Amino acid sequence: MKQAFYIKRTIAGTIFDILNALFMTVFVFLMVYPFINLLALSFNDGVDAVKGGIYFWPRKFSLASYQYMLKNPKLIRGTFVSIMRVIVGTATGLLGSALLGYIVSCRHFYGRRFMRVLFIITMYFGGGLIPTYLLMLRLGLSNTFHVYWIPGIFSAYYMLLISSYIQNLPESLFESARIDGASELRTFIQIALPLSVPVLACIAVYIGVGQWNSWFDVSLYSKDGKWDNLQIILNRLLNQAAALENIMEQQRLYEEMRRITPQTVRAATTMIVTLPIIFIYPFFQKYFISGITLGAVKG
Amino acid sequence: MQTELWLLSVPIIIWVLIFCYYPMYGITMSFVNYVPGKPIWQCEFVGLKWFIDFLTNPSFGLLLRNTLAMSLLNIIFGFPAPIIFALLLNEIGNRHAKKFIQTVSYLPHFISWVVAASIVYLLLSNEGIINVILVQWGITHKPIPFLSKGEYYWIIYTIINIWKSVGWSSIIYLSAIAGIDEQLYQAGAIDGLGRLGMAWYITIPSIAPTIVVLWILGIGGILNAGFEQHLLLGNPMTQKYWDVIDTYSYRYGVQQGFYSMGTAVGLFKSVIGFFLVILTNKISKKLFDLSII
Repeated sequence: MKQAFYIKRTIAGTIFDILNALFMTVFVFLMVYPFINLLALSFNDGVDAVKGGIYFWPRKFSLASYQYMLKNPKLIRGTFVSIMRVIVGTATGLLGSALLGYIVSCRHFYGRRFMRVLFIITMYFGGGLIPTYLLMLRLGLSNTFHVYWIPGIFSAYYMLLISSYIQNLPESLFESARIDGASELRTFIQIALPLSVPVLACIAVYIGVGQWNSWFDVSLYSKDGKWDNLQIILNRLLNQAAALENIMEQQRLYEEMRRITPQTVRAATTMIVTLPIIFIYPFFQKYFISGITLGAVKG
Repeated sequence: MQTELWLLSVPIIIWVLIFCYYPMYGITMSFVNYVPGKPIWQCEFVGLKWFIDFLTNPSFGLLLRNTLAMSLLNIIFGFPAPIIFALLLNEIGNRHAKKFIQTVSYLPHFISWVVAASIVYLLLSNEGIINVILVQWGITHKPIPFLSKGEYYWIIYTIINIWKSVGWSSIIYLSAIAGIDEQLYQAGAIDGLGRLGMAWYITIPSIAPTIVVLWILGIGGILNAGFEQHLLLGNPMTQKYWDVIDTYSYRYGVQQGFYSMGTAVGLFKSVIGFFLVILTNKISKKLFDLSII
């Protein structure tokens, strides 16, 4: 957009534009630079990196940190758990909330109000950390993969987003399916789901990113480490002593691991955890935004 | 059709009873001396013992200080940051540049706090880039121990919080700005307003309701001064500066197994927080005729 024709051009305005452009350049730099620095560090020789002074580009190029990760069975397992979390968590969370959203938007359903209220209450009141934690232990969900997706199948917030979307669709579409003798489940799968793809895509992104990024539930429930994901492994690497111990163990095994340090390994792990987000980010950007405006409409 | 919908609803109802309502019942353990494995109603009733213990505990003052300090820093610096950013971004003429800056600004919102903490560690550690620059430029002789001295913690937390949220929080202001009627600006031009005048007399008043609503939400949530952030960014050396009510409840309730105590602390915070939201909402209704609940 050029500036609107009716706005006067003044010297002060031009100076402001230049300063503003400068400010925005610095702003963008601050947002992006940490990632660039991490990338440079992760490709640098570990022993050399300790000397500092790596800003934009690796000084002594080395793939050792990434090799370390490829040879570390824990990290490979962690990647697998992270990916499974995203797939299973997103699929079940999406289907569950979509079904719930469909049910509470069926105008002819007597239990519609009851279901709606039952879930809206959970948006304002909850048991909090410790009762929930004890519940998971009692259900035997700790140290299992299920603790990552079962508590997230239904969500009141996504229910509201989906049902407000479905209610704005023409009712006649659902009517005709029912007149043709389709069951409710079939109407849901064949009419409601395909029609709500825009809102579902946005919710899928939210759930997926949330699943990929979560670490606190892992730290609570993955006590034996079998279902550790990447985030929690990175979290442990931040602990200097634990990181050193891990690395020294690998150094005993492999000659080429001599030159890695916690710093570069941390950088490499952080990069591995961040890259998927950065890569999918441009594609899903529009869905994030549509989600926030949907939420704003709902209040 | 009714039966079928009820049949579909039954598993959902069972799920919500187990995963949402049962933990609410579990809150009652803050009034008993809970022993794991025993039903709550069979445990010894202790009344408000845990709450009184918590309030008279010397660390309560510390927790409150940290909570209020970090919340206030966040309200003073973190609250206006997205408004200023939105106003400045709105003045960028080039549409592509605007879009690009906006896209970049959301990015930190989508990375996890673990990654954010990792970035803080790498930038601020002794061999981190900030210390290297400080020493090279002769500003300090020795690296500054940012991560192990608690005095720096509040500032670091505030900065990383703003870094992560400024772009995302600005969306709501930008969409409010986008909703302003173009005719207002045209009328302003006829009345001889310059760009600054338009921002001051048209843009800011137009987004004022949004600002007020978010301000109220912010004040109402003053007890929410972060939780997982502190578990990630903090360490035992800086604990005196990051320990807040939530982390205290987590440490006692989950890590050390004082379930009743931990639940009571969490309940205390939720109840006070709930009344704060109600109170701020009442005030805003009186002053601005704006209500959020």
